[in-house]
Amino acid sequence: MNKIINEIQTTLEPLTIETPAFRQIAVVVKPDAIHNSLAYLRQKGFTQLSIVTCIDWIKDSEMEMVYVLFNWTEGIHIQLRARIDREKPVMVTSTDIFPGARYYEREVHEFFGVEFPGNEDAAKPLLLELWDDLPPLRKDFDSQAYSDSKFPMRERGNEFVSEIGGQNK
Amino acid sequence: MVLDKKDNMVLDKKDDRNVWEKIGDYFSANSIWMKWYCTGCGAIEMPPTMTSRFDMERLGLGPMATPRQADVLLITGYLSTKTLRRVIYSYEQMNSPRFIIAFGSCTINGGIYYDSYATIGRLDKYLPVDLYISGCMPRPETIMNGFSGLIEMIKKGEAKGWKHYQDNYEWYKKNQLDSLGKIIVEDEFHE
Repeated sequence: MNKIINEIQTTLEPLTIETPAFRQIAVVVKPDAIHNSLAYLRQKGFTQLSIVTCIDWIKDSEMEMVYVLFNWTEGIHIQLRARIDREKPVMVTSTDIFPGARYYEREVHEFFGVEFPGNEDAAKPLLLELWDDLPPLRKDFDSQAYSDSKFPMRERGNEFVSEIGGQNK
Repeated sequence: MVLDKKDNMVLDKKDDRNVWEKIGDYFSANSIWMKWYCTGCGAIEMPPTMTSRFDMERLGLGPMATPRQADVLLITGYLSTKTLRRVIYSYEQMNSPRFIIAFGSCTINGGIYYDSYATIGRLDKYLPVDLYISGCMPRPETIMNGFSGLIEMIKKGEAKGWKHYQDNYEWYKKNQLDSLGKIIVEDEFHE
C-alpha cells in the first residue's frame, strides 16, 4: 500500500493524494494528466475500470471527472479525479486504455454534457430518448419545471393537513 | 367525449352490451390472462400473489407471455417516458376487450417521482385505466381484491376503457404526443 502511494507520488506528481478508507487511495491530478495516469495505473495492475462519472461543482464553475480503478492482485481501489472547465467541459477519451469506458463516457456525455474527443459513440443517446433540454444531472437543470411543462398532473383535492389546522396554512 | 371541469376524461360505465357480448363477457371474466408490464416496484408483489400462499389462479387469473394473447395489462408502478412508449405499443397490440389495471400511487399522480424529468405524472391522460389499486406498493391481499373488483366490473359491463380509447383516440393520441414528442421507438436496437 505505502509502496504504491510512494510510486504514484513520484511518477504521477499528483496535486493531492490521500487514503480516505482502508485500502483506498484518492488521487487528484491535472486534467491533461488523466490519460497518462490511467495508462500508468493499468500497467501497475489496476486493470478494472469500475466506473467513470462526473460531479458538477456549480459554485466553482467546474466539472470533476472521477475514475475508479481496482487492483485485483493487491485489493486496492484508486479514485482518480480531475477538475475541468464547466462551460466547455472536454476530457480526452480513455477508450484506448479501457475499452469498457465507451459506455461510461456515453452516459457522462448524456447526463453532464462532457465532450469526449476520440470516442465516436459519446454523442449517441444511451438512456434518455429524444432529450431536448439541458443535460439533466447538471445542477442548473430544473427537474420540477421540466416535469410541469411536459407531464400534466391531476389536481389535488383538499389538503387534509390544513383542514385540521396543521402547519400547511 | 365527456370531460369534467378539470379536463379529466370521465369514463362512462353504462351497460350497453348486446346479448352476445354479455355471454362473451361472462366467460372472459372467469378466465383472465394477464400481461404484467413490470415497470416499477409493483412487479415484486406479483410473485407472492400468483404462487402458493395467495394463489390467484383460484380466481381464474393466469399470466400470459405476450400482449397479443392477453386480456389485462398490468401497469405495476411508475412509468418513465421511455417505458410509456413501449406500454402504448403493447396496449395497441392487444385484442379487445382489453383492460388496464394500474398499481400504486405513481400511476395516479407520479407518486414520489412527481418532479422527475423522466417519469410521467398521471397515466389516464395517455391510456384508459379501468381500475386503480391503491397502495405504495399494494399488498397481495389488495391485489386479489382489485382483481375480484375487475371481474365484477367485466360481468356488469362497466369495464369499458377499451371502447373509450377507440372513441376518443384523437384525445389520447394528442396527450401522448404532447408529452412524448414521438411514439415510434427509434433506438439502436430497433435500427
